[in-house]
Parts: sequence; C-alpha cells; structure tokens
Amino acid sequence: MVDGLSRLACVRVEGFAAAALERCEPALREQPLAAVTGAPPAMRVVEANARARAEGVRPGLPDAEAVVRCPSLVRRPASAEAEAAARHALLEACLAVSPRLEDAGPGLVHVALDGLHRLFGDDLEIGRRLRRRARAVGLDARVGIAAGRAAAGVAARVGPLVHVLAPGTERAALAPVPLATLEWPAGLAATFARWGLATLGDLAALPRAGVGARLGATGLAAHDLAAGVDRAPFRPWTPPPFWEEAQGLDWEIGTLPALVLVLERALERLCARLAAAHLVVDVLDVRLALASGGHHARTVSLAAPLVDVAPLSALLALELEAHPPPAPVTGVALSARAVPRRAAPGRLWHPPAPAPRDLAAVLARLALLVGGANVGTPVVVDSHRPDADTLAPFAGGGEADDGAAGPEADRAGDAEARTPAGSLAIRRLRPPRPVEVETRDGRPSRVRAAPALDAAVVTCAGPWRLSGHWWDTDAWARDEWDVELTDRTLWRLAHDRLTNSWALDAVYD
Amino acid sequence: MLVDRLLRQGAMTEIVGPLSSGRTSTLTLCLRAVTRRGGLAALVDVDHAFDPRSAAAAGVDLGRVLWVRAEGRRRSALEAVDLLARCPGFALVALDVGESPPRLPLAAAFRLRQAARRSGVALLVLGSRPVVGGAAALSVLTRRDRLAWAGPGPVPRRLVGMRSGLHVVRKQGAPWPAPVERLWWTA
Repeated sequence: MVDGLSRLACVRVEGFAAAALERCEPALREQPLAAVTGAPPAMRVVEANARARAEGVRPGLPDAEAVVRCPSLVRRPASAEAEAAARHALLEACLAVSPRLEDAGPGLVHVALDGLHRLFGDDLEIGRRLRRRARAVGLDARVGIAAGRAAAGVAARVGPLVHVLAPGTERAALAPVPLATLEWPAGLAATFARWGLATLGDLAALPRAGVGARLGATGLAAHDLAAGVDRAPFRPWTPPPFWEEAQGLDWEIGTLPALVLVLERALERLCARLAAAHLVVDVLDVRLALASGGHHARTVSLAAPLVDVAPLSALLALELEAHPPPAPVTGVALSARAVPRRAAPGRLWHPPAPAPRDLAAVLARLALLVGGANVGTPVVVDSHRPDADTLAPFAGGGEADDGAAGPEADRAGDAEARTPAGSLAIRRLRPPRPVEVETRDGRPSRVRAAPALDAAVVTCAGPWRLSGHWWDTDAWARDEWDVELTDRTLWRLAHDRLTNSWALDAVYD
Repeated sequence: MLVDRLLRQGAMTEIVGPLSSGRTSTLTLCLRAVTRRGGLAALVDVDHAFDPRSAAAAGVDLGRVLWVRAEGRRRSALEAVDLLARCPGFALVALDVGESPPRLPLAAAFRLRQAARRSGVALLVLGSRPVVGGAAALSVLTRRDRLAWAGPGPVPRRLVGMRSGLHVVRKQGAPWPAPVERLWWTA
C-alpha cells in the first residue's frame, strides 16, 4: 500500500515517442513507424510502434538495420514538442477519471483509484474508462491495476489490455513474468542471467539483504519490483496554473497614460493571485487587441523576479513607450511566467539585501548605462585558457553559505589579519598589450612597447607552459613569465608559441 | 580586523597607489570579507581589469558580486556608482578607476558621500591617484615594500609573494592604530 492508497492503476503507452508522432499524424497508425534521432548516416531508432516492433524494430537500432528488418518502415524525427503535448494530454485524460495521479515519466501515469468504485464501478470498469479516455486524446494505452505501483506497472506490460490483479495475489501473479519483459539498468540483466534467474519469482525468492549487498541500490529496487513492493511516496501531479488576466474594453484607447491605467488594474489582479500562491513574476507578456483587427504583443523580461504592481507597471509603461501599439487598443491581456518566491534573506547574521524592486530598477539602469552584456555576476569557466571568464545574470547572491557567514566568519577574518593578508591579485589587460621582448639565455631581459614602456627586466620567473584546444582550430599555446621591471611594476608576460609574439597579459597588484 | 577599519557603512574610503603596490589585492580582500559574511558587493570596473579567477582563488564568493564593466567610459562608471550608492542593501560598492582616473568635481564627490551615508553603503574608490579627495573618510596610500622569489640557484623559478604597506594619508574619526600597516600577499 502506498501512502494509504489501496488500489492503483498504471496507465502505460508503449513506444511513447512513436505514439506521440501517430497522434499528430493519425494516418501513420496503419504503417510500421519509427521515431528516429541523429543525423544521417548515424540515425538511430528511439521508439517504434506496435507494427514496427512486430517486424523486429527495436529502440537503439541503427536506422539502416531497421530498414533492412522492415522495408516498409516509415521514419520520422522524434519530436520533443509532440512528446510534451502527448504527455500532458495523457495526464489530463487520467485527471478526468481520478483527481489523484502521478506523472511517472513519458507515457506512464499512476492513478489512485480509492473512492472511485462507487462512481465508476469495479477495477475493471475503471481500467476500461481510463483506456477510453486515453484513446479519446489519441493514445492507445494499456492499464494495469494492483495494490502498488510496481505490480500495476508489470501488469500494464503483460496480459490483457486492462489487467487487474486481485488484492493479495500480486506476488503470485508477478512470479511467472519473465525478467526479459522489463527494462533493467545496464549490466543488471546480464547479472541476472549469470545467476540463472529467469522470472520475477526467481528474483523475488532471493534474500533482499543479499541482493542489496551484491548489487546495491539498483539491485534493491529490482528486488522490490519483483516482489511487488512499493516504497516510494506518491507524488501527486496537479495541472500547471494559467496566470493570465484579460480585459475587453467598450471603448478604444489611443493614449499611453490611459492604457497604463487599464494595465495597472489588470496587473493588480494578477499580482494578487500570484502573491496568494507565493509566486513572483519572472517574465510578463502583454497582448493588446487593436481596433484595426490585429494584435500587438510585447514581452517584459525582468532582471529580478517581482510581484509588486508599481515597478511592473512602470516597466510595462516604458516598454510600451518604446514600442507603442500601431492602432487604438480595444482589449488587454496580461500573462505572467511565474517562479517561486525566494525566501527572504532575513537570516540572523546576514546583512540586509537590496529590495527586489530596487535591485531590478538599478540593474535595468546599469544595463542602459554600460550595456546589458557588461552587468552581471562573474563566472569562472572551467578551462585552462587565460581570461576565460563570463558574466551571468546577477541574482542577488541567492542563498548565502551559512557555514561562512556569521560570527565564525568574523573570527576567521580576525585570524587572517594576523597572518598573510590574502592572495596577490592581478589586473587583466584586455586585450593583452603587445610588446617587444629582448631575451638573454632564453629569458626575457628587456620589454619595450610604444609609446612609453622601455624597461629592463630586474627579475623574472618562468616559464609556465600552458596550452589547450590543440585538437581543433581554436588551439592556443603560450609560455607565461612573471617579470619585475625597473619601473617597479610586476607583470605577467605571455609568449604565444603559435605566433611567436609577446604580450603583457596582466599586472600583479 | 583590517577590512572593518578600511570599510565603514555609509562612508567613503579611497585607496591610491601605483601599479604593483597591492591596491587591487586590498580590494579583493575587502570583497572576500564582505561576500563571506553574506553581503552583496558591487564593483564598477572602469578599465575592465578585474580578474574573476584570481578573486575566486582568493576566496571571493563571486555569486555575491555584481560586476559592472564600464569598458573605459569613465562618465558612465561614475553614474553607475552613483546609482549603486543610492541602492540600500549593498554592503560594499567599489569603484576601480584604474590608471586614468576621471576628474570628479568636489561637489560630485560630496554628493556621492551623502548618497552612501543615506543608504548605508560602504564606498571604496581605487585608483592610481586621488579622485574623491576630502570627501573620503579614509585615504590610504599603498606602496610595495618587497617581492619574494623562490628557486634554487641565482635564477628564480617562482614568485612567492609581495609585501605592501598601507600608509594612512587622512582619516576622519578615531586615529589609525599604526601609521603603516604591513600586508603580505601570497602569489
């Protein structure tokens, strides 16, 4: 029994990627069909429909071999969009039967049946209803019903299209099912074959602790599946909410201030709904119906998620001022892409952070001043290439590291003040400054660069040899030297080994 | 703690020094202290000289740093600092004016100080020569004392570190404990 649920149904669509394509092109149902991925000649089969499977077409098969096995095979590129739509359609079809269901993956839904028997009849009748609902949205599903998800899942793979396992008979019903019927993690099937296991009953008969000691977590999961034991909690799925506020107008609006007033009322309603759900606006889409019969749509991406009406209204007004509607407006619709509200950083030892609306306004103005590409959080890229750093959108720091914050951090800082202060920082020259370098015994002895640099090298250390991307056209290779010049500056001097040129790369400061 | 003496909420600090004197290392030290306490720091970088890799190696939590690259536009950099200084919530706003500091009228410098005072932001200005002058509550001059190299024989193989001195030029309020603070930076 899972979380107090005594009966569960598993609704399963085999070859889901192919089924999603069939849903888009119903004529394909009558032909052997394979969803393929990759570029020719390395295309492989992702999923196949029942007709193609009967001809021996299996997932992972090279495209050429699939055509040899089934010459009339129709191949279509697997479509993530079609799969997402089909997955949602299957969930909604099941939602019409039971309010409690779990999204277990593409083409797999677990439905809680408790309380449905007085409405729809016995398990078999509910299973048939689930199948009808799935068929109504264009998906041919098999249904297994048992006391747990594991047993229901196996029942949905074998036996009749609606397969009901009576309460208490799950283990006995699963025992004769061949292990080859199910998909196992890589290597596990070979291990079972080596152990001489042929059916789920053979696997369930092994001691669970022994299987766990030899095969780890995957082995324990396999044993539970064979025994029809269900240990994971039931995670109910709820349809995603639709955050939109719209308003039709009895009059035409031709001026921006009047339009902003209407948008502000719609925003107030939208923000109140979002605030009640503890969500904030990440992206705001505005769609204006025009008197000319057309539409004017704009999108406002926020630098920081917000749910305050005033700054959102100001940002909307700025956007519409920059891109005004070409005709008077007769209707407005606002929709929000919402994200969960981040917990306020009101930790005891943390300093206060900027208010989201202040930060959003400051970031927007900074982007106007210096360009959006020049404002953000520095990110160190995992590369040995010097100066391989990028900027990411500034998120206000997120959650602080509790281990570093607080009085402990202060004490750590006190300790640092008594010992070496820290690391020697460098200042990058972007782009590196080309220089002429005299060498003596292979080491830099004098550095010259127009217009004002002409200094002898007092001390130098190196070379530090670096290279990367030697396998493609973006190859680089350089030697780095730390040099102290007679003008008391300390530089990182780089010698490009591919172009045999020198440059001042950074200065220690 | 040195950083607590260098930075004060609502006040302006100026660090001046030539190249290779330790002023950027001092900035990194301040960024590290602020971000490790959970505070947010903003760095307005006029010459696009900040090196995130060495800052991360020094212990700066880069996720809590807002980096504004002015790409040589000094006027835009000053406007950016003015915006940030008026935004309460940043523990530190640093302006690195680089080797060609802009001319900042005294009135503008005092206006900046007033903005920092109202928002409670610690303002730090770095450059090769003074920019904010008398508006700074603390002015520090960095000078390099010595370099340390390592390696067998007469030819060094590795830069070990640098020692620099922080000379207090002017300070409002309580006196600095010592006229010169010696700091050791490891390479």
